[in-house]
Amino acid sequence: MTHTQVAPARGAAPLLVPLLAGGLVAVALGVYGRAHAPTGFAVGLAGFSGPLAMKAWLTTGAALLAVVQVLSAMALWGRITVTGSWVAPLHRWSGRLAFVLTVPVAFHCLYSLGAQYDAPRVLVHSALGCFFYGVFTAKMLALPKRGLPGWTLPVLGGLVFTALAGLWLTSSFWFFTTLGVRF
Amino acid sequence: MSRSGPFFTLAAGAVLAAGLAAASVTAAPALRQVDAQATAPPVEVTTTPGQTASPQQTDSTQTDSTQTDSTQTDSTQTEPAQTEPAAVDTTPKKADYAGVAQGNGGLVAIAVRDGRAVAYFCDGRIESWLKGTAADDTVVLKGRHSLITAALGKGRAQGKIQFGDATWRFVAPLVRKPSGLYRATAVVRGARIVGGWIVLPSGQEVGRVGIGGSGEPAPAFTPGSPVDYYGVPLRPQEPDAFLDDLAP
Repeated sequence: MTHTQVAPARGAAPLLVPLLAGGLVAVALGVYGRAHAPTGFAVGLAGFSGPLAMKAWLTTGAALLAVVQVLSAMALWGRITVTGSWVAPLHRWSGRLAFVLTVPVAFHCLYSLGAQYDAPRVLVHSALGCFFYGVFTAKMLALPKRGLPGWTLPVLGGLVFTALAGLWLTSSFWFFTTLGVRF
Repeated sequence: MSRSGPFFTLAAGAVLAAGLAAASVTAAPALRQVDAQATAPPVEVTTTPGQTASPQQTDSTQTDSTQTDSTQTDSTQTEPAQTEPAAVDTTPKKADYAGVAQGNGGLVAIAVRDGRAVAYFCDGRIESWLKGTAADDTVVLKGRHSLITAALGKGRAQGKIQFGDATWRFVAPLVRKPSGLYRATAVVRGARIVGGWIVLPSGQEVGRVGIGGSGEPAPAFTPGSPVDYYGVPLRPQEPDAFLDDLAP
């Protein structure tokens, strides 16, 4: 692998494109969620008693994997003393799986229900959902770049985790505490 | 590590979303057919006052429903001549209509009670509750992004429903329970659940249940029986029970 020749890192300039792309993704999702007429129906994973339960559990799965993400990232950055060649693949694949788990959830939310601002919980959830995919996109695009400030990945990763935690609290946690822990 | 890995991750997510979109667009409609004969409800002791059972059923609500029915039948049938002989209002005092929205395939149900009217439109995916008035053999009902206007007479309500940018015509004949309009509400730990169902004499049925900004096609409903929604028992009621809540 050859190292791309980049100008010596000067601040956060190389971050511009990832951040712009992420911002575009977040705005696009929000505009789509608001502009299109909610279909009231979306195909999802079978096996649950309904779409709410499906989304609650997929989001919970993603949130648990997100905890793995934080721990494995801390290991990669030497913040916890776990070493091994398996840490990096664990971080990569737990992240990929978590992301894939969120896609049917977000698809159902956006396609079937759309972005809504009627109630605080729903408003926060809608905004966080758009923000989550924006930051995730920014992080994915920032990953291969060289010469980024050292704080880039921890900050972006931390924002992704925080957004997902907020999404879980405003959806799955609400579902489990309102209707009970059911599949 | 492949430096294109993150791009593949993003692409995989996009492809998955596109696949779900394609599957959702081509998915079957949400109307269901229930056996019309099977809609005879099992004995439901816990029926709420408005949820009167079918006429042939004899249970604790029989007395109430008989009284209610006779009163309302009287007012409907023996329409007293108004003070203005030139304009006798033939608008039904109590009538239930249900039919298909042509071109949409969803169902429309209208309930008229003493000049007030409520309606529900649902195709399993989109829905709207409407309220309005009935006068001069016409009902006009408004709901969120929706409007129904219909003429009453000849045993049917004939008109159109506007939903968003779309307009569908419908002819909804008079129906008798267990066919007609049903609505169930419940509050669970601060979250309000609202369900709506329309049952046709043919056994065709459609409905939706919503909670906290989210909604989904309703579980199958047999008139007289409760409906389980994620463990919450919903008790769909007839228009007499929810008219005041919906159209004060």
